[in-house]
Amino acid sequence: MNLWQGAVLMSVYFPHKKLPYLLVLPQLVITLIFFLWPAEQAFEQAFYQEDAFGLSREFVGFDNFVYLFNDPQYYKSIWVTLVFSFSVAFSGLAIALWLAVMADRVIRGKLTYQTLLVWPYAVAPALAGVLWWLLFDPSMGPIALWLQYFGVDWNHFLNGDQAMTLVVISATWKQISYNFLFFLAGLQAVPRSLIEAASIDGASPFKRFWTIVFPLLSPTTFFLLVINLVYAFFDTFGVIDATTQGGPGVSTATMVYKVFNDGFIGLDMGSSAAQSVVLMFLVGVMTVIQFRYIERKVEY
Amino acid sequence: MSDVVLNNIGKTYPNGYHAIPSIDLTIEEGEFIVLVGPSGCGKSTLLRMVAGLETISQGDLMIKGAKVNDKEPADRDIAMVFQNYALYPHMTVYANMAYGLKNRGESKEVIAEKVTSVANMLGLEELLERKPKQLSGGQRQRVAMGRAMVRDPKVFLFDEPLSNLDAKLRVQMRVEIRQLQRKLGTTTLYVTHDQVEAMTLADRLVVLNKGKAEQIGSPMALYNKPATPFVAAFIGSPSMNLLPANLDEQGICLSDRLSLPLVHDHRGSIIWGIRPEHLEVVDEANADFALRIQAVESLGAETLIHGTVDLGVKQEPMVVRLAGPHWPEINSLLWLKAPLDHWHVFDAVTQQRL
Ligand SMILES: Nc1ncnc2c1ncn2[C@@H]1O[C@H](COP(=O)(O)OP(=O)(O)OP(=O)(O)O)[C@@H](O)[C@H]1O
Ligand SMILES: [Mg+2]
Repeated sequence: MNLWQGAVLMSVYFPHKKLPYLLVLPQLVITLIFFLWPAEQAFEQAFYQEDAFGLSREFVGFDNFVYLFNDPQYYKSIWVTLVFSFSVAFSGLAIALWLAVMADRVIRGKLTYQTLLVWPYAVAPALAGVLWWLLFDPSMGPIALWLQYFGVDWNHFLNGDQAMTLVVISATWKQISYNFLFFLAGLQAVPRSLIEAASIDGASPFKRFWTIVFPLLSPTTFFLLVINLVYAFFDTFGVIDATTQGGPGVSTATMVYKVFNDGFIGLDMGSSAAQSVVLMFLVGVMTVIQFRYIERKVEY
Repeated sequence: MSDVVLNNIGKTYPNGYHAIPSIDLTIEEGEFIVLVGPSGCGKSTLLRMVAGLETISQGDLMIKGAKVNDKEPADRDIAMVFQNYALYPHMTVYANMAYGLKNRGESKEVIAEKVTSVANMLGLEELLERKPKQLSGGQRQRVAMGRAMVRDPKVFLFDEPLSNLDAKLRVQMRVEIRQLQRKLGTTTLYVTHDQVEAMTLADRLVVLNKGKAEQIGSPMALYNKPATPFVAAFIGSPSMNLLPANLDEQGICLSDRLSLPLVHDHRGSIIWGIRPEHLEVVDEANADFALRIQAVESLGAETLIHGTVDLGVKQEPMVVRLAGPHWPEINSLLWLKAPLDHWHVFDAVTQQRL
């Protein structure tokens, strides 16, 4: 629906001019109080240096940013974020696609299978984190014990790579349901006759998938890639906090986690605010990408 | 050697639906066979069994002497043109045509040569770099044919390939398909529900009714000597006039008011048929019966007159087809003669031609 149609519809459904504004008012107020106001605060804060007790502050211009971009720790957190996000997006997409292909083949018990796969999406992120934290707990988690039985020395409290694996698993797990639903819908939209034509054309099932089905899914895949990256970038604080709290050291502290860590644990409000501003900028860029490329559909 | 042999072929779908009880058909090399019948009669099912897209529940399918029941579609050396063309939307016209050859491991040079020569034959040279969605319906149809031709298969299978085209293009493509098939000499199995397409394309027609082959034969054989009332009504446009009657000593007794003399030893209820184009307008003295005119369709070259014949107990609808323009008055009577040598008589019980 474009704006013009929207306007026409509005005048049809809302003969009184003020009613529509009244109806969006709560949304506007919420956006104002919980988003725009804090954003403005952070933006302002980013140009000040505050003492640890928040008693006095001093305008420092771009010092917070200069300091930030000269801090090797910040580049480390960018690197962690990239590794984390692309691992989450890639494994989330790959596993969901595989499950969707399987589900598309299942004939009996289809609904049960699909319902089970959708459930994880309903679990709160922090809860998912706790769940995986328990499963992988080095001293009592069943998966950790099982890994140790096979000679893998699992201890994500000490091993940064294992900690990263754990947060990736916890964050991915939840996304799989979402990706799965989209892939399944995408698969079911591939016309049967195309697969049949390809099989007459002598393509093996494997080849049919990679040369016909997968390319036809590319709009779905691209859409999900962006959605998953955005999720991994900005929406995984809860999962990380519940599993590794950014540790050991800073090996799982993503950019978002670092904002929290520096601001509320390290009490360096200026730097934390500057990092928030960088993140806000990133959100903006991602949103533009999302609208520019996804709305316009991927051409194949 | 016969090319494709269907031996007692039957199909039962997994849900238990018995789509095709049993069909026998022997197709000679280079023959153009058309499967025709109303919607849901099992045409696609039969074609898809030959293609290998549907399992064969019963009987043997032989292609070039080899039993292929359990072979994959790719190993049957057939090519199929789908109703919706099924072109790969993400590939160019060239890639669409090359796909099958590539899967068979042909070299780049061979592929290029074959695709180019088929593209030239079909007038697709200019379109090779386009994607399917940048083509018109007729062009897509041509690409689908090109994709089938490029592999030089033993058998072409067509499933209603022209039904998505407008009337004019349909006629044009129909002629083109026939010419191409003659030129290539490839055995062809073609499905349609359009009887004009069926009549004009076929060497032999298979008329299917509820999964059974009602009659197999040349278009003219089916037109002149339909084996059943179903075939009689299906082949020819407008449909043959079919009236229930009784056969006794006097001949064909349509009602106690109207009999047509005929000497025949069969007794009992029958179906009497005459084609609209075989009825003659005569004066009252020579007429067999009169038609009360209800509607006139003038097509310029011919006129179709719809009306009813009064049989006393009931009114039977009948159509007459006359050459050239005519303007008879609605509700007036048209005196008609049904020449004996154009009668079709079927047993009403067995539905067989007498
Ligand atoms: N997968 C299936 N399972 C069960 N029954 C089916 C299946 N596919 C087709 N049928 C049934 O088999 C019969 C024949 O179907 P088919 O598609 O061969 O008809 P058709 O002659 O090609 O008709 P149309 O001219 O409409 O394409 C139909 O009654 C249809 O409902
Ligand atoms: Mg069909």
